[in-house]
Amino acid sequence: MAMGMPYGLQAMLKEGHKHFSGVEEAVMKNIEACKALAQMTKTSLGPNGMNKMVINHLEKLFVTSDASTIVTEMDVYHPAAKLLVMAAKAQAGEVGDATNLVLTLAGELLGNAEVLLRDGLHTSEIAEGYQRASDKALSVLESLVLPGTDTLDVKDKAAVALRLRGAISSKQLGYEDLLAPLIAEACIDVVPSNPHNFNVDNVRIVKIMGGALPDSQVVKGMVLKRDAEGSVKCVENAKVAVYAQGVDTSGPETKGTVLIKSAEELEGYSRSEEEKLEQYVKAIADSGAKVIVSGGAIGEMAMHFIEKYRLLALRIPSKFDMRRFCRATGAVAIVKLQAPQPDELGFAKQIEVRELGGANCVVLQQDASLGSVATLVLRGSTEGFLDDVERAVDDGINAYKALCRDARCVPAGGASEIEMARQVADFGKKQTGLDQYAIARFAEALEVVPRTIAENSGLQASEVLARLYAAHAQGQVNAGVCIESGAPKDLAAEGIMDVYAAKWWAVRLATDAVVTVLKVDQIIMAKQAGGPKPRAGDGDDD
Amino acid sequence: MGSVKTLNPNADVMGRHAATFMCVNAAKGLHEVMKTNFGPKGTIKMLVGGAGDIKLTKDGNVLLREMQIQNPTAVMIARTAVAQDDVTGDGTTSIVLLIGEMMKQAERYLQEGSHPRVIVEGFDIAKKALLEFLDDFKTPVDASDREMLRCVSRTSLSTKLAPHLVEQLTDIVTDAVLTIKQPEQPLDLYMVEIMHMRHKLDQDTRLVKGLVLDHGSRHPDMPKRVEDAFILTANISLEYEKAEVNAGFFYSSAEQREALVAAERAYTDERCRRVIELKKQVCGDSGRGFVLINQKGIDPLCLDMLAKEGILALRRAKKRNMERLTLACGGFAINSVEELSPDCLGHAGAVYEHVLGEEKYTFVEDVKHPHSCTILIKGPNDHTIAQIKDAVRDGLRAVKNVIDDKAVVLGAGAFEIAAAAHLRSTVKKQAQGRAKLGVEAFAEALLGFVKVLAENSGYDAQDVLIKLQEEQERGSNVGLDIATGEALDPQVAGIYDNLIVKRQIILSAPVIASQLLLVDEVMRAGINMRGK
Repeated sequence: MAMGMPYGLQAMLKEGHKHFSGVEEAVMKNIEACKALAQMTKTSLGPNGMNKMVINHLEKLFVTSDASTIVTEMDVYHPAAKLLVMAAKAQAGEVGDATNLVLTLAGELLGNAEVLLRDGLHTSEIAEGYQRASDKALSVLESLVLPGTDTLDVKDKAAVALRLRGAISSKQLGYEDLLAPLIAEACIDVVPSNPHNFNVDNVRIVKIMGGALPDSQVVKGMVLKRDAEGSVKCVENAKVAVYAQGVDTSGPETKGTVLIKSAEELEGYSRSEEEKLEQYVKAIADSGAKVIVSGGAIGEMAMHFIEKYRLLALRIPSKFDMRRFCRATGAVAIVKLQAPQPDELGFAKQIEVRELGGANCVVLQQDASLGSVATLVLRGSTEGFLDDVERAVDDGINAYKALCRDARCVPAGGASEIEMARQVADFGKKQTGLDQYAIARFAEALEVVPRTIAENSGLQASEVLARLYAAHAQGQVNAGVCIESGAPKDLAAEGIMDVYAAKWWAVRLATDAVVTVLKVDQIIMAKQAGGPKPRAGDGDDD
Repeated sequence: MGSVKTLNPNADVMGRHAATFMCVNAAKGLHEVMKTNFGPKGTIKMLVGGAGDIKLTKDGNVLLREMQIQNPTAVMIARTAVAQDDVTGDGTTSIVLLIGEMMKQAERYLQEGSHPRVIVEGFDIAKKALLEFLDDFKTPVDASDREMLRCVSRTSLSTKLAPHLVEQLTDIVTDAVLTIKQPEQPLDLYMVEIMHMRHKLDQDTRLVKGLVLDHGSRHPDMPKRVEDAFILTANISLEYEKAEVNAGFFYSSAEQREALVAAERAYTDERCRRVIELKKQVCGDSGRGFVLINQKGIDPLCLDMLAKEGILALRRAKKRNMERLTLACGGFAINSVEELSPDCLGHAGAVYEHVLGEEKYTFVEDVKHPHSCTILIKGPNDHTIAQIKDAVRDGLRAVKNVIDDKAVVLGAGAFEIAAAAHLRSTVKKQAQGRAKLGVEAFAEALLGFVKVLAENSGYDAQDVLIKLQEEQERGSNVGLDIATGEALDPQVAGIYDNLIVKRQIILSAPVIASQLLLVDEVMRAGINMRGK
């Protein structure tokens, strides 16, 4: 019969639906996908992590070891793996660092869950065990906070740079001594009196090709990658008038018609227009402003008068750049073309057009006390390299923000993970229920961090782990992997530390994502929307 | 059977046996899918949409809505379930389960040769008897008893969310309803705004006694935080509006044009000035804040004027929020500047902006006598937020139902066991003739709930059922303790269900089951047939 004998879910759904259910079909498949994802990012973990070359759907090339970039550009489709990606993105949003830890840990947890499932444990027992183990791990983590790190003078450049080294060295090993002080300097320039309100947006990054990374510098103020409009290219100690709209003649909202009866009137009209505009520009010049910044186009006639009064004209089309400019100069954006009030004028110590790496850039220099925007000018040989450094710097700035909120740090180099693993394992042995197996596996999963660090550095992972455990058993809770010798070493003494908040969120989000993946026992997938995929290799033969 | 074929050779026909078989199987199939969702220990389903978007759910209603079912019988059942949700906000999984069970039981009798009509009659008798029984069984409660409201919302939420969230949301949901409850007025759940922020963890979800708006001021110089503020809720346009008629300006010099530009603005500026005057009048030099929340637009020039006066202005507020605002802060919304007076102002202790990446949120908090509130849902990703959102909606409905019903029903399967016993002991004896079969089938179907509950919690269904029935025969109300698999007293454990949910299930499940059983031919002879 045409309608068939419907049985089961498959027959009831629209065509094109896919449906998986049960432990074998859904859970195991999900675990497999997640593991594959984690396997990929794992090799990028740690200071000696490998770079990945990712070409995204726009055929843009990325060379990076930053996990969040890798997974974002990879466009993961598998639903369960996507849950992991979401967790990583949440981590990026919360602390902006340690995304790789989320993925690696989650992958390892799921891999261990697979073993448990094969041993016959129920998913709910594993989920419960993991949840309890993660609570325990987080409380251990809190006890690991290095004494004396809970207070940090966020304005002390040397101290901040020291703390930022950890975040940078995991992305750009070798450059941390160069980048950390730069980031620290830029951040300290803009940090408000209440460090809690530190805004990441106030530290700008401008990438200019050419030169080498050591040529990078911090500009107290802004760098705009465009030229000044007129012939005035440099002013100092100048007042600044900022206009949100364009600088040109204004028209009414209602359609206007110029009514002209004779040739004299026509001439008179153009003249009156000119006079009006000159009046405006003159008023601006009279108010003491030496710089006009416009959000829109600057009319040709307006430009003429601006030149006449020797003003520096600047166009900032981006609304956000405009706001930053206002913040940096203390100006108020004026919505109508009119003479600025004294309190609407901003002040710039120096605005100058400089040639940086072949491009003309407008550099706004401020005294540290005035500006609330700082810019890091990064120099480097290739675009890909600059992009990668930018991501590292981004992580660094985010780490600074995290430090402003919670300055606590924990031992790095896998030391915290080993200690968590040790204590969670002990905790698991005291449990009586079936979840003790899950807790033990959770502890095992935590080992992945030191193991991977060791592996990525070409060391004997098992041996390193054994020595670490031995050191920790003797009470050296701060002992982590030394990537050069493989011996346990108190890295905190060398100033390598991890931010507590980043670790906390990573463990938390990884566990949450894993528990969610485990709890799903059925997947119902709708038919993929959209037209057919473009044929691969199209246009090869012509 | 062949008659349709004569009329339309393309028609597709299913005879009696095939039709029944199809109906029963569809019901069973749906039952099979929904079964694992049921109860606090139910599992989660992952739905992947056409665009690759992920949705995780335990909620039967969400599942049915998203699943795109095509089988005609299954669609009928799904529609009943959706209707159940519209009426009561809960019990969608239950109704699908009950219909599935009823069809399953009926199938047994049909295979033994009973006529469907006989069973349907029995269903009908049982239904009537059950409704009476439900009225006796219910527990009347005082609608202002917070503890009782918490019990009901907890029962409802625990079937939809992870345990660690349930306790927290129970309080949030209960308090939200109690906040908006006004004596002698019907409860309007729309006065609870549900707002979500992709931020932090699901445990950071909280109740804001006040309002959270999902947009911020549009001017960089406006204050980001004002305290002890007057709130002006308005629906006045503060932007230049084009005339309806075709108007044009004629001018012959730039001065004239400037004058026209100014004149054009004058009207809008005047309205803006009136607002500023009011601000000056009420605030003076006291340093108190002033917030304008406008349903219509405010153009950049007006924003600038307002910003200079230190007024925090929000434009294009949602209409529903205008109503909620006045309830939360007091005052009333004005529609023209003529109405402006200090009386129409509301008050809030703190109004502040929160920026999350690109999005801005405005919190209006610390209000004195809120009659409107916001449940602020947080979560690290969209699917967590969506899951909580659906659950909160159901939780709110559950609390509202208690207030409306002024009664609850014992949960954890207690009602089903008692009802089944009642059907067997009393109703079956009263029923005449073969209708007894239908009553028996209904009783057995009711017990299906308990079986599924036990199965999902990892216990043997029959063991548990017998244990509970024995306990029930001793004369007490028993439910299933999902943690131990033993009997428990739902009253002590605080497990209560909504009366209206149970009533609706009993009302609609037999109707749809009867309809499906009485189908004896399925014909498909429309124009839209797929070519053979």
